[in-house]
Parts: sequence; C-alpha cells; structure tokens
Amino acid sequence: MKKNLYFEDVEIGDDIGPIKRSVTDEDVIEFISVREKKITPSRFTSKEVANSEGLPEAIVPGPMNIALMAQVLTDWSDTVCLLKIDVVFRQTVPHNKGLTFSGIVTDKDETGGSTKLGCDVVMENSDEVKLVIGTGVISLPNKP
Amino acid sequence: MTTDEGIVYDRSLLGVETHIGTFELTREMILSFAKSTGETNPRYVGNNNGDGDIVAPPTICNVFVSGVSRPDIKLEFGEISFFAGQSIECKAEIRPGDVLSASTKLDNVYAKTGRSGKMVFAVWETKFRNQDDTTVALVTESFVRRNKNR
Repeated sequence: MKKNLYFEDVEIGDDIGPIKRSVTDEDVIEFISVREKKITPSRFTSKEVANSEGLPEAIVPGPMNIALMAQVLTDWSDTVCLLKIDVVFRQTVPHNKGLTFSGIVTDKDETGGSTKLGCDVVMENSDEVKLVIGTGVISLPNKP
Repeated sequence: MTTDEGIVYDRSLLGVETHIGTFELTREMILSFAKSTGETNPRYVGNNNGDGDIVAPPTICNVFVSGVSRPDIKLEFGEISFFAGQSIECKAEIRPGDVLSASTKLDNVYAKTGRSGKMVFAVWETKFRNQDDTTVALVTESFVRRNKNR
C-alpha cells in the first residue's frame, strides 16, 4: 500500500518510482476521444499515416506523454500536489513498447514555510534511451 | 547564443491574446482521461464503483491545446518544424462541470545556433480560465523550425 508522504519525510536525492508500463493502441484512442468524438486516422492512431509522415510506427501524442510524466509524480503519494511540469521531447514514443518512468528529488525549498520540492523526471525505453525528460515542482503537506 | 535579430515574422502578434475555444469538462471526460493513462488515484477516478467526488488530473487542459489553430506568425525560416517542449503550471483544481475558456498568445520568438545549425523557436502561452474567471492552468509550448540536414 502506498505511503502518504509529508514534506519532512523527503530529502534531496530521494527516488520517485520507477513505474514500468506500456501505452496500448486502445489507451491512445481513449485519450484522443476525450477531445474528439470521431477519431480520424493520424500519426497517433495509424501506422500507415505515421509511415507517410516518415515515422516508423504510430506514436503517443505529446499531451499524453506529459500526462504520463506528471503521473509519476502524483503517483508517488496521494498527498502530492503538482504545481508545474516542464518536459522536453527527445524522441517519439511508440505504442505497445515497454517504458520506464522515474524521478528524483533535486530541490527542497524550506524558505518562508514553503513545502515545495523540485524533481527531475524521465521516460526511458527498454534500452534505457531517454525519450522524454523533464522537471516538476510539487508540494507536500507538513506532517500533522 | 540566443537572439531574435534577423528573424522575419509577424511581430504584431507578440503578446496579443486570441481566444481559441471554450470547453466544458464532463465527469466522463475526466474518467476517460484517467483511464487512458492508467490512473488509479481515487482523487481522479473516484471509489471502486467510479462514484464519489473527483477532480481532474492536473494536466488535463493539455488535451484541448493540441490541434488548435493559432494565428500564422509568417515565420520566414526553416524547412521542417517540430514540437520541442511544453510546460504546464497547475493553478487551481478543475472539476466536472467546469467550463474552461482558453486564450493563447505568442510569447517569444528567438533563435539558437548549435551543432546542427540555426534553429528558430516560437513559444506560445495558453491560459485556461474557469467559469469564475479563475486561471486554472497555464500551458507553454515551444515549437522549433530549422533547415534539413544536408
């Protein structure tokens, strides 16, 4: 069972995750359907369209990647409040392939009653190639 | 080195806000977003029956940013463009039934020169406000244009 973390529990250098998962074709369609009632073939849903755009296979949409990166942080503890996430897309993210998401605490702001933490987050493929990298700012509550 | 000297684009667009849409966020949309990303946190998915109070996962506004049509900045540089990066500031909770109004503005255009030559970055900032005019999220996106490698 996941432990509820408090600001006092965390130190710089603490690991976040890792989480291993893959993104299926169905996951991508579900994600796109949040906005689009009718899914039309695109580089995100169709290998053929992706190929025509010079991509070897259908890819995971950028907004879905950022959602998955954010989830590494919010999944760490139910007490996490995500304030900001900033990502850089290094490579395209394929469907149905093993991905590892992980993070590390890089900063702990204890000035003026702040409970903010800075974190690095990364998404890697099974060859440990970094596909998406980023930084996050989260806050945790103080211990009761 | 970062500069905007010599970049030809429509500078009149800098800082000008353009409304890009109004989006009503339903409970079903939040649950669908959560399901697609394998979310299990009851804060976002409710209890085991899918009931109970929920809030939207913090990056949900992002689904409304992709694919929006923005003003053409008439950038006269580069043969290929790609999405370079994005940041989301989560300012306030988003709940089922919220009606979000989005406006975007061109925040910055600048050039960088690296090993692969010159690249021009266009940075757009999109603000989401809810029905109470509270800013709930700020999405910053960076797009790059560069020439093909010869």
